[in-house]
Amino acid sequence: MGIIIAVISGKGGVGKTTAVANLGLGVAMNDKTCVVVDFDIGQRNLDMILGLENRVVYDMVQVMEGEATVKQALIRSKVNNNLQFLAASQSKDKSVLNSDKVYKLVKELKETFDYVILDSPAGIESGFEHTIEFADAAIIVVNPEVSSIRDADRAIGILDSKSQKVKDGEEVAKYLVINRIVANMVESGEMLNSEDILDILSIKLVGKVPEDKGVIDASNQGKPVILDKNSIAGQAYKRISARLCGKKVEMKNVEVSDSSLFTKIKGIFR
Amino acid sequence: MFLDWFKKKKSASVARDRLTIAIMSDRDGRNIYPFMDDMKAEIVEVVKRYIGVRGVEIHKEVDGEFEAISIDVLLDKNN
Repeated sequence: MGIIIAVISGKGGVGKTTAVANLGLGVAMNDKTCVVVDFDIGQRNLDMILGLENRVVYDMVQVMEGEATVKQALIRSKVNNNLQFLAASQSKDKSVLNSDKVYKLVKELKETFDYVILDSPAGIESGFEHTIEFADAAIIVVNPEVSSIRDADRAIGILDSKSQKVKDGEEVAKYLVINRIVANMVESGEMLNSEDILDILSIKLVGKVPEDKGVIDASNQGKPVILDKNSIAGQAYKRISARLCGKKVEMKNVEVSDSSLFTKIKGIFR
Repeated sequence: MFLDWFKKKKSASVARDRLTIAIMSDRDGRNIYPFMDDMKAEIVEVVKRYIGVRGVEIHKEVDGEFEAISIDVLLDKNN
């Protein structure tokens, strides 16, 4: 029996889908079986990031409606056999989801895979609520920026009231990923640092991802950035994936720029 | 130069202060307990047996060491 992780953000455009693609692949690289499901119905995107857009035949709504089996709809990653993908419907809208159908789908996936990672739609309406409903854990993605953090807090609030686990008197594990950190801006005090963000949201940190041009390059090609050994964001996703698989990986301080370290060392010899 | 450096240092801490306040007031307006919706529905059900109900509002109030919830039951005009 696997674990269901919902990846949520509150605000859109913070790198949620990128995080899902990279963590899914990262978990698979740790020898776990994983399925990533795009819950953003009407705005399918995960297929592009994974480079699987040409392989989509059936989507998750068709599976829920009984028009296709899970097996027919799953698409295997080109780069890792442990990773499979279930596409969002592009033609339908979010109203087609309902709790019973979602439960049936995620339960079946949970029985087959070690990790079931759900890419939630942005915002906090029904599509979002269905993504978090049966999750065992949630990963909240934020940028070090006020609107993203405020919206994330709202999303966490809904997670705490609407998830089935909480209704059953249990707790949903919540982990924060801070994405798009610009080290020299944090250093100069122009960007919120991770300590402040954790303080404000009062949840646990699972990883910090630095801003990296390689992310766009990777999405252009449909190859998640975790495959790029030279990418600092890719390395960050590798560390987070390992943590998700229960490995102890030290938190790297991506809020210090290399140049400043260099300046400091230079300063010693002055 | 020195002053410029100081000015820059501020924007992140301004963000932190503004966020802290905004989020605190957001949280105040939100359902504090996960069971709020269920409790509301049950209260409506009970009161409805005796008198018409339009809705129920529940607020959590904190005053020093005391915490309280206040429940407002809005009655139907036609009663």
